[in-house]
Amino acid sequence: MLVSAQQGHPGSVLSQIEILVSLFYGDIMRYEKNNPNSKTRDKIIISKGHSAMGLYPIFADLGYFDKNELNKFGTTKGFLRIFGNINIPGIDATSGSLGHGPGIGAGYALAAKHDNSNQRTFVIVSEGEMYEGSIWETALFASHNKLDNLVLILDRNNKIILGDTEDLVALEPIQNKWESFGFKAIRVNGHSFGELMNAFSNIGSTNGKPLIIIADTVKGKGISFMENEPSWHYWQGLNDNQLKMAREDLKKIDDR
Amino acid sequence: MTDKFQRDIFIDEIYNAALNDRDIYFISADFGAPSLDKFRDKLPNQFIHSGISEQHMIDMAAGLALSNKKVYLYAMAPFITLRCLEQIKCSLSMMNLPVTILAVGVGLGYADAGPTHYANEDVACLRSLPGIEIFSISDEITAKAIAQNTLNEPKFRIIRMERHALPQIHSKVIDSINNGFEVLNKGNKVCILSYGHLLHRAKLALEILNKEEKNIGLIDVYRFKPLSKNLLTELNKYESLITIEEQCLDGGFGSCILEFLNKNKILKNIDRMGLPERYFFENGGREYLLDTFGLSVDDIVNRIKINNI
Repeated sequence: MLVSAQQGHPGSVLSQIEILVSLFYGDIMRYEKNNPNSKTRDKIIISKGHSAMGLYPIFADLGYFDKNELNKFGTTKGFLRIFGNINIPGIDATSGSLGHGPGIGAGYALAAKHDNSNQRTFVIVSEGEMYEGSIWETALFASHNKLDNLVLILDRNNKIILGDTEDLVALEPIQNKWESFGFKAIRVNGHSFGELMNAFSNIGSTNGKPLIIIADTVKGKGISFMENEPSWHYWQGLNDNQLKMAREDLKKIDDR
Repeated sequence: MTDKFQRDIFIDEIYNAALNDRDIYFISADFGAPSLDKFRDKLPNQFIHSGISEQHMIDMAAGLALSNKKVYLYAMAPFITLRCLEQIKCSLSMMNLPVTILAVGVGLGYADAGPTHYANEDVACLRSLPGIEIFSISDEITAKAIAQNTLNEPKFRIIRMERHALPQIHSKVIDSINNGFEVLNKGNKVCILSYGHLLHRAKLALEILNKEEKNIGLIDVYRFKPLSKNLLTELNKYESLITIEEQCLDGGFGSCILEFLNKNKILKNIDRMGLPERYFFENGGREYLLDTFGLSVDDIVNRIKINNI
């Protein structure tokens, strides 16, 4: 999709793949195949909207839209955009600007509580969003209102555009920060299905606390020359050699 | 003067509807009213305190609206507009959600608190957002009519309210809320267009002049956006227009009228009265500030005379 559109954010998309796969194929999220409009399915918000495209192949696989749409990503003929918006089947919040997803997620979660629904809301956030004040406004609210049906997953790949968070404006110890705001915070290897699944098993048994899973990840995971390389935040184009190398890297993952 | 505040009149209408509709939610960023005390007491599950967190309040309202809730947001005008403009843009405007923002204390209503507490650039900032409807309340009749409109047809709106009670200025119920304006005095040469607090000053100016001049019109343009075709028909009856607003002139109410006529290819003399481009740190109260900075009743009278030659 990135190659055909020649735009997008490969670093952030690749770091979250295991998280998304766990959610949708690990029996964590409730959904109805072929029915993105299901009233009872769980909600998913990719708050770091630049990586929303990670959901598109999954949605196509679930039958939310025709798989051919994937080939039209980023073109005038298709409806799949670089950033997610609510006109795309399965997308539950328009995103792009950082720091909005948790607040919108809190609204969904609060409505579900009031309606006595067991629907949960999953919000994927980036470490870049930890700098936005609105996130912490929501953290106060979510823990006070015991929104244990709200699950944040922090894709902690450490890299923002100009480098490493700890060198620029430090975020650590990030787990303590969330715990001090009243969340249950669990830190895992975000590329380990086992650790992610273990962490998700806490949903519903947090004594009323909202849950945040801090998933340590590698930006650009899976493509050797993109890994941990801040410059691959945004698509830069590939020469023939790089394209070949990227395909070989991804094939190695397939083979595993 | 009616002793009821606009916020209480409005909230009571919402409360009465919320008694029979559990999907109506009222969210406050730590801003109160006697009518809200009743709402919180009788309908605790439909009242939410967001914290003094306007950004979170707007985003959360989006999540609730996406869950088919009818949401009212309530705070002081300067803070529920510019402080969270980004959230209003991304979460409410882009997703076009039926959330009503209630902004209390518009213009210099919070004098002498100073410019952090004044809302005199909110119109210029908000009117650029696609889909937003902007209302201003001038008295009890408009408060009720606009509240009913938000209940009957939930949409993305901001309702700008006065902090203090204002006397009744409309002599009858609003003819058609969809018009977005109401003619208070019919004329044929000069027409004054205003809203809210300054509408009352314009009326005083008219009363002074009507002893000698019978051709001055007065219209309460309680909805700035969108302006209706019917308003165009009304404005066409006059040679010149005077807009009066408690806003900065750049992009404000007068600009709405200018651009509206320009879009409809109508050339007319339009004189815009508003606040000078500066911050107001002075003491003396709202009436003093308005008198001092070019919006006294005499200023309005003089401006009408200049335009009525």
